[in-house]
Amino acid sequence: MSDLNTSKAAAELAVLPFYAVATLAFFVLSVLLFISADYMGGHYFQPKLLAVVHLAALGWATMIIFGASYQLLPVICESPLFSSILAFASFILLTIGVYLLVVSFWFFQTGWLMICGGTFVLLSTLCYLANVLLTSQIFHQYSIQTLFMVSSALWLLFTVIVGLLLAVNLHQPFIERNHLDILKLHAHAGIAGWFLQLVTGVSIKLLPMFLLGRSQKERLLRYAFFLQNCGLLLFFADVFFTGFSSRALIWAALIAGGVICHMLYLLDVFKHRLPKPLDYQMKHSFLSFLFLAITLLVIPIVVISDSGHWSILYGTLIFMGWLTAIILGKTYKTLPFIVWNKHYKNLTGKQKVPLPKHLYNETLVKLQFFIYIAAMMVLVAGILSAVSMLVKAGFLLFIAVSLIYGYGVLSILFHKPKSS
Amino acid sequence: MNFDIKDPFFSEKVEAVKALSNVIDPELFVNIIDLGLVYDIDFSSAGLIKITMTLSTPHCPLREAIESGVKNVLTIFPDRIVDINVVWAPVWTVDMITEQGKSELGIE
Repeated sequence: MSDLNTSKAAAELAVLPFYAVATLAFFVLSVLLFISADYMGGHYFQPKLLAVVHLAALGWATMIIFGASYQLLPVICESPLFSSILAFASFILLTIGVYLLVVSFWFFQTGWLMICGGTFVLLSTLCYLANVLLTSQIFHQYSIQTLFMVSSALWLLFTVIVGLLLAVNLHQPFIERNHLDILKLHAHAGIAGWFLQLVTGVSIKLLPMFLLGRSQKERLLRYAFFLQNCGLLLFFADVFFTGFSSRALIWAALIAGGVICHMLYLLDVFKHRLPKPLDYQMKHSFLSFLFLAITLLVIPIVVISDSGHWSILYGTLIFMGWLTAIILGKTYKTLPFIVWNKHYKNLTGKQKVPLPKHLYNETLVKLQFFIYIAAMMVLVAGILSAVSMLVKAGFLLFIAVSLIYGYGVLSILFHKPKSS
Repeated sequence: MNFDIKDPFFSEKVEAVKALSNVIDPELFVNIIDLGLVYDIDFSSAGLIKITMTLSTPHCPLREAIESGVKNVLTIFPDRIVDINVVWAPVWTVDMITEQGKSELGIE
């Protein structure tokens, strides 16, 4: 019977390259943000900001999510990863696509360079979606966690298709609707479809595992799924057919209701956990949910206000707050295990082997946590007060965070076992 | 896991438990005996040690490492082959962790 649940850890090729490239992207992102800090006070539709947003969304967040998903899909879906080759193909395609897109946005080269970048990202997404669908076997075995994984991958596909159409539209206008309205759809399919539903699906599986807690309130997750998707679909229909208006607040409230259901579930898990001390990796996760809550509170001001810096704050809270915080913590909950498995899985019990947590310096994770908090506080203060020096100081701290994180990731990736 | 002192394999089972206490769950940093992951140790078949155990999570990516650890520590019985049967019922819960395990997890 044990064969039914045989675990096959995903091939290293399907996971490790994503972490390496995403780590580099995080450093480059921090440097580019520092260089383009002066643009933080204006409108978001600027070449430099479009470049850094795509680097943050695709090169940093999506890159690492793809890698982590290939490692976690077998755990979440309780089925071996369908194809490591397809996973590696998605890595190559995404890396090329991100490079082309970021360069074309930075120098605002609309045309074939940008369209090719978008096409590579689309092909990468199709590889990822195929792996998710065929690993999850969603049509044969249902779980709410799997449903979130599949829906997030479908939203990613939608996001990328709309993005590609926008890239074509910049070169050869053909979309009759307002370009910026469609851009809002593209951005929110990515934020509330891809990222939010992916984070929901992963967190409802992993946090109970890490906290050794359980919740019986699974109905909250069904409400979360319903509200997040309904809110997003209604937002799309409204903006597409009638244009962007303050009605967006109603749809945002529906999505926020879904987030609240998700949070209530996690709170119940937290209440029913074993009361062991929280490590800094988990503290990063809780910080991430705090940033998500603040982001939701900022939405009404972004919708009502005409001021560009509220939109910049909104994007900052999403990419540098919510998503970056969860990645900074979860990396140390996932990456060391695959590297540890590679070196030590056959040596346990034979000789003294280190634990996965010994593959990196825990003091640096603690340092990373505090510098990251300082970076976010200074950055948010800088954006709100429109003081360019503060914004630059915030990004300088982010460069420090990216270096500490990079050192941690590289020391894990290049870990050499000591001979016994 | 309790053994009957009248069990003909009582001493082997005690030795096996001692050996299995050296297999650490790499995620929780506690050995698999104190985590309550081992449900049964059976020496009744000639040339075999049947281990019935579970994991804290189905499709745990560290399953191969834990199984390898179990096989490696039970080489103290060179005449027996280790047969590991991973089961999902009864479902493992934190209530199965021993007091020693809870103490190692830092649980108040």
